[in-house]
Amino acid sequence: MTSFLTAFFSGTAQGAIYALVSLGLVLVWRGAGIVNFAQMGQAMFTTYIASQLIQHSYSYWSAFVIALISGAALGALVDLGLMRPLTSRKNSQLLNSQSMRTTIPVIASLGILGVLKALAGIFWAGEERGFPSPVAPNAIKIGSTNLAITGFDLFVIGVVFLTLVLTTIFFTKTGMGLAMRASALNPEVTRLSGIKVGSVRTLGWAISGTASSLAGLLVTPRTNLSPNTLDLLLIVGFTAAVVGGLTSLAGSVLGGFILGYVISFVNVYSAPENVFIAILIFLLLALFIRPQGILGSKEVRRV
Amino acid sequence: MLAISNLVTEFASVKALNGVSFQAKPGLITTVIGANGAGKSTLLRTISGLERASSGSIKWFDQELTHKSVESIVRSGIAQVPEGHAVISQLSVGENIELGGLFRKRIARGDLAIATKEVYELFPILYERRNEAAGSLSGGERQMLAISRALVSRPKLLLLDEPSLGLAPLISAQIISIVNDLCRATGLTVLLVEQNANTALAVADHGILLALGKVVADLPAKEMIADSSLRAAYLGY
Repeated sequence: MTSFLTAFFSGTAQGAIYALVSLGLVLVWRGAGIVNFAQMGQAMFTTYIASQLIQHSYSYWSAFVIALISGAALGALVDLGLMRPLTSRKNSQLLNSQSMRTTIPVIASLGILGVLKALAGIFWAGEERGFPSPVAPNAIKIGSTNLAITGFDLFVIGVVFLTLVLTTIFFTKTGMGLAMRASALNPEVTRLSGIKVGSVRTLGWAISGTASSLAGLLVTPRTNLSPNTLDLLLIVGFTAAVVGGLTSLAGSVLGGFILGYVISFVNVYSAPENVFIAILIFLLLALFIRPQGILGSKEVRRV
Repeated sequence: MLAISNLVTEFASVKALNGVSFQAKPGLITTVIGANGAGKSTLLRTISGLERASSGSIKWFDQELTHKSVESIVRSGIAQVPEGHAVISQLSVGENIELGGLFRKRIARGDLAIATKEVYELFPILYERRNEAAGSLSGGERQMLAISRALVSRPKLLLLDEPSLGLAPLISAQIISIVNDLCRATGLTVLLVEQNANTALAVADHGILLALGKVVADLPAKEMIADSSLRAAYLGY
């Protein structure tokens, strides 16, 4: 029973982080049609910024906030500085085929990932370092009994829960949220409604950057921080996004939690070295049973 | 006044519009008719900025529109209802309408509420179904929704692209008559593109006949209806 509870709570906490990564990927995918492979590179970079600030005796929380703001800025910068010029019409000579138009931004995102890793290497020597958490990573005790959940798990679950509530309110209750959904679903009708779809798209990159930056801050107390630590998170997050349905924000979050439980239960009941193969098997199963994802919609091609 | 002169729009090397010139007077319905492929939709899409003109000019009163973005053209009072009952089917009916007025939320919140109320009065069925997904509407209701989305932006010029396409004759007549009433009551300028020439000419003040990207006739609607040789030559009936 204890091991079941341990697996459950740690799965929830891990799943919460995967949900953030997956949400970030889906936001950009829906808005811009790009799988952003640089996403966790951006998160790695902003986590290094936070780490640097903490070393220079800033408080955890001010570093936390600055990292999130940098995440938003970096996301917006990637769009404005690279993706928008790459996909704009002026370059149509270069991008005259649809396959090039969709491939080039993806390759560009791999390029950004490389640049960010190199920069992290130059600025911070690429050494693995710890990253603090605001709460102790010990199990919570009642009297002398250890509960199956740690204070840090609770912290992660709480922060992500709050983020998801705010995101839901933003998307369903605000005009800007409506504009973002509409831009992703039908850019032409949205533009004809007088909405600057380009700016809305940049906002999507910024929110995605913030979500992944938050994921970086929440995962590194456990994994430590190096230029490569967040790579695995991208793979898991991507799997979660595919499982949940690449086009659905709710699906991406659901996918994140499902992946969290899969990984955590394999870890507890099997062995940590089987986690990776379990992810792949799960992805294949999901693709066989429901290729459009749990909440994804089948693509309708209009003629 | 909408004044179009020598408008050319090219796709690759094909000239979809090949030197189109005409004027549409304010407060009236001007209809653009012509066979499939005549360039009718391209004309509307060029006016609204969705396609770029290679040369020529589009003037709405004093403003030159050819180099403006779609968003700023909409914001200057020109709303397009695109072909195919274009609504966003995954959003609710209410959200589609809200979307049309979103850019006015900060600048004219009070009037936006009035405009929203007005379109619901114009199309009560949309009010009844405001919380349902737009995708669940019938073709005619979708067209009503697409028009409503445009109307809440309080346009001065309404560009309608084939509103009767794919609709039962009774329903398309109903929609065209609502647009007609709206134009007469509010002084809205309407540019109506139609393949169904009879329906369009019945309500229009003026007719423009397009063939292969060129204007071949520019006549008061009544005269165009009467000219059977013109219709035989270009519309095939």
